[in-house]
Amino acid sequence: MTRYAYYPGCSLETMAASYHVSSMEVARKLGVELEELEDWNCCGATAYSKVDELLATVLCARNLAIAEKRGLDIVAPCNACFKNLWTTNAAMKRDADLADHMNYALEADDLRYDGKVEVSHIMNVFVTDEALASIRQKAGERIKGLRVAPYYGCQIVRPRRPGVELAQADNPTYFEALLEAAGADPVAYPYKVRCCGAALMVTNRRAAVQMLRDLLQSAVDAGAEVIATACPLCQINLECYQREVNRAYGTNYAVPILYFTQLLGLALGVGVKRLGIGKELVSADAVLKRPCAATAPTGA
Amino acid sequence: MSERKRVLIVDDDPDFVAGIRAILDSQYDTVVAYNPKDGWDALKKDRYDLLCLDIMMGRGAEGVMMARKLRKDKVLREMPVLIITGLREQIAFLFPGQAMHPGFVPVDELVEKPVEPELLLQKAAALIAASEARQDR
Amino acid sequence: MVVTSTARTISFREEVENLLHAEEGVSLVRCVQCATCSAACPAVEFMDHTPRELIGLINAGMKDEVMASNTFWTCASCYACSEKCPEGIRPADLMYALTRYSLWKDTFNRDWVAPEFSRRFTRTILRTGKSYEPGYAPAFIFEGGFPGMVREMRMAVRLLGKGRLPLIPSRIKRIRNLRAMVARVLPLDGIE
Repeated sequence: MTRYAYYPGCSLETMAASYHVSSMEVARKLGVELEELEDWNCCGATAYSKVDELLATVLCARNLAIAEKRGLDIVAPCNACFKNLWTTNAAMKRDADLADHMNYALEADDLRYDGKVEVSHIMNVFVTDEALASIRQKAGERIKGLRVAPYYGCQIVRPRRPGVELAQADNPTYFEALLEAAGADPVAYPYKVRCCGAALMVTNRRAAVQMLRDLLQSAVDAGAEVIATACPLCQINLECYQREVNRAYGTNYAVPILYFTQLLGLALGVGVKRLGIGKELVSADAVLKRPCAATAPTGA
Repeated sequence: MSERKRVLIVDDDPDFVAGIRAILDSQYDTVVAYNPKDGWDALKKDRYDLLCLDIMMGRGAEGVMMARKLRKDKVLREMPVLIITGLREQIAFLFPGQAMHPGFVPVDELVEKPVEPELLLQKAAALIAASEARQDR
Repeated sequence: MVVTSTARTISFREEVENLLHAEEGVSLVRCVQCATCSAACPAVEFMDHTPRELIGLINAGMKDEVMASNTFWTCASCYACSEKCPEGIRPADLMYALTRYSLWKDTFNRDWVAPEFSRRFTRTILRTGKSYEPGYAPAFIFEGGFPGMVREMRMAVRLLGKGRLPLIPSRIKRIRNLRAMVARVLPLDGIE
């Protein structure tokens, strides 16, 4: 059983609780142990880097130090949390002065970070060769042939990690591999790594709504029945604000937006309620009531 | 006639730097580094009698980082450090009305911007004199 | 850079590059104005200057125009520009440096939502250690006028009905230590 320090991030507590429960279910099914990081604090999102980069770094350094104390690597379901923790980790490993200063600050919580933790996005755990083989073996018919638009989002692939070629960062394929292993039919569309707007939904509504419209149209044009996301901000934007897009552009999108862990969970036979499905503002019924799904169990 | 003392100024604000240089040049040879990395390189390369150090630069309160690094260096820990900071004003939108917390800035003296020319010269002279007295002992 | 001559000061481009001394991008002077960054930027239509224009303005020493621009406050930090720049400039890092600088220099527009949102977010984390979305509502809830506010509240009610709206702010156990930690990085009296 591989064990990780699980860093849920602030949104997964309530707004994106379905991502949390579905991640837990999928991890359980695939033999991955997720131990919630003790007393974790906010990663700072993008707001902290806008005001003070050293503060942004120290917030993430605390989480890294807690994981190191526990002797575990971190997995994060949210793109922004993942990116912040990963880049802070890289910065502290690269810059000895920064690390020294952060450790001076961490003393205030009896902590220290010596660069021993690795940070992954939770999807990375489920796309290893072993995990994909396990998924292929265990997947039922629940999402067989479902046309899914895999929406990576931006910060899961950018900034590009060392060793990743530009072509790979521009056109990653591991999300598609995951969906195929689960029996679904990933569709190709050009905006799979384009930003959803994230906090612009708050700070520049018009910009975010346009970005969402572009994404939704692109996925619909490609024949997607559902968009799968890997980040709570992406999901919330695409789903909760779909109405805003329709109002602003006179469209009538009704595209279900689910977390990849919810789709994976369905494939692995986890019940709808246990995956937090049903809490969406845009109904996911179209996904659940597909012909091949009609005979599958829907209970918890 | 003794050689003029050398002052290194580390501050990212070119307008402010031009101002204090105009004051300090009357009595000292001044050199400027506009970021802490260059400042550190300058300190390692040449000898200075006083460091005038800003706090908010680049990523955040990097002046505090630099001051701490100086104190840990066997040679540079003897360098007198005068912090000249506009931190309170710079951070006022985020933290209005908050005073500086001197406990976390390990320096000899701290003055806030804007700095009175007389005061600046007084502090500079005093810090250099005190440092020399320590070295003579 | 280190300057010994009394007569010389530094250009605005150099001033900006000093902010980026710890980042990995190349000098802004390498910009060839190819506009790849602008083309990659998903929010570009909502910026008063495109990323390319902004870098051009910086290189031309037009400090006032740059500092008054909304470009860096409209940036979503998606890193598409940094990824694609053929010269190795990192516009995404530049945008962050400029938002910080605009706060220090007080050149940003107080009517903009982004700085106010950042302020509330920053304060919230220092209060409890975690984010609390309803706390940011005052920063943006009136942007769409009265109808906009009604729509926001309607959505909040729908989310509440689905159990997705956080009501009570979540707090970390060692919040006092976190504040003490932050005070070591930003030495202000009121943080602890």
